[in-house]
Amino acid sequence: MKTTYSADQDALFAAYTRTTNTWGRLTLFVGFVIATAIPFIVMFTTDLDVTAGQIITAFIAVAAVYGAFYVIEPITYYPILGTAGMYQAFLIGNIANKLVPSAIVAQSTIGAKPGTRKAAYAATAAISGAAVVHVTSLLLLVGVLGTWIVSIMPPSITEVARVYILPSILGGVMVQLIATLKQVKATAISIGVALLVILLLVPNTPKLVSSFQIAICVVLTVAIVWFTHGAKDDDEDSALIN
Amino acid sequence: MNLSQSTTSQISAVANSPLLWILAVAVLGVVLLQSYVYMRAVRANAAGADMTQREVFQAFRAGGVAAIGPSLAVVLVAIALLPLFGTPPILVRIGLIGSAATETASASIAAGTVGANLGDASYTPDVFLIALMAMSLSGACWMISTLILTPILARGESALAHVNPALMAIIPAGALLAAFAGLTVNELPKSTIHILATVVSAVIMAICLWVARRLNQAWLREWALGFSIVGGLIAAYIATN
Repeated sequence: MKTTYSADQDALFAAYTRTTNTWGRLTLFVGFVIATAIPFIVMFTTDLDVTAGQIITAFIAVAAVYGAFYVIEPITYYPILGTAGMYQAFLIGNIANKLVPSAIVAQSTIGAKPGTRKAAYAATAAISGAAVVHVTSLLLLVGVLGTWIVSIMPPSITEVARVYILPSILGGVMVQLIATLKQVKATAISIGVALLVILLLVPNTPKLVSSFQIAICVVLTVAIVWFTHGAKDDDEDSALIN
Repeated sequence: MNLSQSTTSQISAVANSPLLWILAVAVLGVVLLQSYVYMRAVRANAAGADMTQREVFQAFRAGGVAAIGPSLAVVLVAIALLPLFGTPPILVRIGLIGSAATETASASIAAGTVGANLGDASYTPDVFLIALMAMSLSGACWMISTLILTPILARGESALAHVNPALMAIIPAGALLAAFAGLTVNELPKSTIHILATVVSAVIMAICLWVARRLNQAWLREWALGFSIVGGLIAAYIATN
């Protein structure tokens, strides 16, 4: 099936592309500026004692884990989302669990064939619909209802939530990662390295080592996986986290 | 306990300040503005793709309805994180690029660089700010990278699109597994209740994923993390009381 468009239709599509590109870039940039300004505003409006060195160190430790994703995720999602969708997706997040499924449902609802203009429009409209639900649920259910729930909770419960939220997230996420990535060898290596670094190396070395314990786990695991990687086992699923 | 409760209220005062509320609502407003402009562009130019106004509305509605389940699942996780980070930081970090797991891991790694742990007595307002900085700067990198890469990718024929697929699969997956394995193992020596919460959360996730696959219930996969967190916290609550 080959669809042909008239010159008038091409002009309309060009207008759509122009508007979504310009406004997509602008809104993503503004979102980036406000979100990034927040911690700096906290820093300059309170008397908290945090140095630039501490911030840079913390950021480097985090980037050691996610640095590859900053580049790989935009490249991976581009063929799925197109230019307009990229500026929506990387502002809103929740790409794989919320936005892409919404776009697919919408395309099948109106019977738009993949790769057509209609499919691109349907995806944009669907992601916009998803964005409205996303923002509304956060504002009403987390911002208003959630804040109220936390305020009436007895301190004994919020205290437990604060102290034990981390292990309660990590146990589940670890299992989810293992099940999703299906990389038996990398899983075994990463757990072995973690046990070795956290339980054996860190307690017996200066405090500096413990500051970078996660970065050390990451570098060691990636190095071992990379150098033991055979040419034939490269059918792994690519890892995406957004 | 008293010491940690007074630092908790200090963090809460910083995290829930009126200015941060305004900025959090502004960020969500930017998301709504973008959707509004995009919808207007689709409606005004629908004929360019042989699309009717009715189909535009159907697509918008279908996308919104499809997002309800995943949104509620995210809400559950976000509320569980409120006592740790406060409402405005959660709205911004969960409302924009990133996820509960990504942000918590970033915050935990950042706290670790100054020898602190999220949630315990070492989690002071200073540590909160360092964690918030690291989360925000990491989120910023995704956005900057998208702003730079999208026009390049749009030109097509970019060498970027042909990165070695093995490299694309191995390094990020290895990094992710290593980070979460390290963070998880780091929780275990803290106390038996930490071990309990980790194990209960892991078991609930395993059950949810198994049932989701066996009975073909995709929604359960979205809710699995929320159920795991609530289960882990309930187990920890019962064990401490």
